[in-house]
Amino acid sequence: MNFDRRLVKLSLMLCAALLPPLSGAATVNLVRGVVGPVSSNTSWANYSMFNLIPGSAVFPTTSSTTVFYLGFTAGSKADIGNMVVYTIARGSLKISKITPVTYGGTSVPSINLGSASVCAVAPSASKPCIVRFDPTSLSLSPASDYYFVVFFKNDSNNGSIGAAQSSPGQSSLVGEYLGGTDYTRLRVGESIPIVPNGSADFLMYVMND
Amino acid sequence: MKILFKMAALAIVTISVSAPRSAAAAAAAAENLVRGIIGPVGSNTSWSGYSAVSKIPGAGLIPVTSETTVFYLGFTAGTRADIKNMVLYTTARGGSTITAVTPVKLGGVSDPSIDLASPSVCPVVEISTYNPCIVRLDPTSITLSALNDYYLVVYFTSGDSNNESVGVTQPIFSQTSLTGSDQAADDSRLTVRDAIPNLSYSSASFLLMYVMTD
Repeated sequence: MNFDRRLVKLSLMLCAALLPPLSGAATVNLVRGVVGPVSSNTSWANYSMFNLIPGSAVFPTTSSTTVFYLGFTAGSKADIGNMVVYTIARGSLKISKITPVTYGGTSVPSINLGSASVCAVAPSASKPCIVRFDPTSLSLSPASDYYFVVFFKNDSNNGSIGAAQSSPGQSSLVGEYLGGTDYTRLRVGESIPIVPNGSADFLMYVMND
Repeated sequence: MKILFKMAALAIVTISVSAPRSAAAAAAAAENLVRGIIGPVGSNTSWSGYSAVSKIPGAGLIPVTSETTVFYLGFTAGTRADIKNMVLYTTARGGSTITAVTPVKLGGVSDPSIDLASPSVCPVVEISTYNPCIVRLDPTSITLSALNDYYLVVYFTSGDSNNESVGVTQPIFSQTSLTGSDQAADDSRLTVRDAIPNLSYSSASFLLMYVMTD
């Protein structure tokens, strides 16, 4: 009987020892984000921002959620009209899936950059304010590309906000922007209207948490 | 005692069901071995008699282990690609002397004729830069090492009208670990101790788009 008891205890201890650490314990990069200092790109009223997260650059880590971090370099309030992630077959432009992105539970947030609880110091290029958005129910796959699109409302607040702009060639993230149209309203089967060919604006990191 | 046994059994069952990323699960998912070609692509046409040489640098390997390596080639134009030979050269990291030559195959052969007009090969028949046809080659039995560099050479049959109209992917972005070049010669017949083709490998690679575990 004592032997049986020891065997059971040993089994339980082995199980505990062999269990991998909880996946939520560590925050890790899902792709290579923006490296080092950033510059600033200002005035975003009535612009749609596109950031490509390429599947070919996704790290071999599994996460059921994806968290986007946006960098602001100027302004006191950012009024977002909508935010989505378009999923696309790797290397293509046709949308196969749309996932809403939220901040504070809404896809149309007004981010108070003047609040110390959001930005510890006033945002600038040397001290960008990095805002963590809500976890998105999206598990990134190497077989897909992802376009994170944010539309900024046509208002005076957005006229003075600044985006953290990455140095070209370092990050896996590339971006582009288009003025005058809200491109967060595209549907499945439609194509991304522009091929990103510049530095990523706003989007700095894509992580599991 | 019975309760203790039940608890032990429950713990073991729970762990077997919920343990994240077991070895089997990790092996099942195709993962990037290096940072591949990013996003949409451009096109480079007319490959009859040309070798596409792509460098896979050991310095760019992502730390994931795989017994096999799978290459993905991108085509943007044409109806058939006639390949004469495909090989993978191994060199010491930063070196130019070939230390191993590994055949690379599609459908079990190193000289495949790829039917780019077939929906079973290219689901979107009208291939283009917006809808590149990405062809998965057979898994190659090689475990990439960070201590080596690797060169994938694909030689397109010379004097071949099909290959005259073949277009391959040409990266738009430079953010990839894959670099390469091309040469109007059959660079796929080199042997151990030969030097790799003396080309510039400073630009992103033609043709080779991804290098994955599966």
